[in-house]
Amino acid sequence: MIRIEAGAWAVMLEHAYSAYPRECCGILLGAENPGGERVVSAAFPCRNAYEGDQSDRFQIDPRDQVRANLKCRAEDIDIIGFFHSHPDCDAYFSATDLKNSWPWYSNIVLSIRQGAFAGAGSFRANDDQSQSETEELTYPSALPAPAADVAETAPGVESPS
Amino acid sequence: MAKVLIPTPLRQYAGNQKEVDIAGATVGEILTSLTSEFADLRKHLYTDEGKLRSFVNVYLNDEDVRYLDKDKTAAAPGDTLSIVPSIAGGGR
Repeated sequence: MIRIEAGAWAVMLEHAYSAYPRECCGILLGAENPGGERVVSAAFPCRNAYEGDQSDRFQIDPRDQVRANLKCRAEDIDIIGFFHSHPDCDAYFSATDLKNSWPWYSNIVLSIRQGAFAGAGSFRANDDQSQSETEELTYPSALPAPAADVAETAPGVESPS
Repeated sequence: MAKVLIPTPLRQYAGNQKEVDIAGATVGEILTSLTSEFADLRKHLYTDEGKLRSFVNVYLNDEDVRYLDKDKTAAAPGDTLSIVPSIAGGGR
């Protein structure tokens, strides 16, 4: 089970909106409590370092992980996972995601359709990265608004008359 | 002594420690000492041929040692050696 706190959730969505129609990526910071629940208290947006078409690929810049480590040491929290977006795709854990992940970490995928949030899922890879399992994910119901020019075309959002 | 930062998934193989102080004059010496002290770490960091795994990055302070002098990169007391997982993916 993983729970995203409001401040972290806002950072994740804003990063996904600003990257659209490219994939965004970032780091989940927080802790796992004794009951096994993971709590994401901060999100660390990263540069997508993939050299190619970023509409369906991402790569976390390792240097951003080094920077995130500094924050973790200062605040006594840990890197507990990563997030990325799937522009105009569902929030699934693809074969590419699985192959390029690490075991243990939570991997949150944000579906962004036409620039607006359309769902999220969290996944964990097994030890040999041959399979992933879905992890129960909770996040705030209130969403930061996408940029105005995107919101006008987002499903379910009425354009001002 | 250099401070070696252990990524969360590998802490179970390093006595559940977040960071470990390890002596060594080079990155290679430090990693050798680390994997001698915590033998279970070795297979997660190195291939059977003894090469650093492709999905493992090692940073000395904020520099990737692959772009320095790799294992021969000199380390000074107080340096921080970060073991950084390579993370990527994509929707298709």
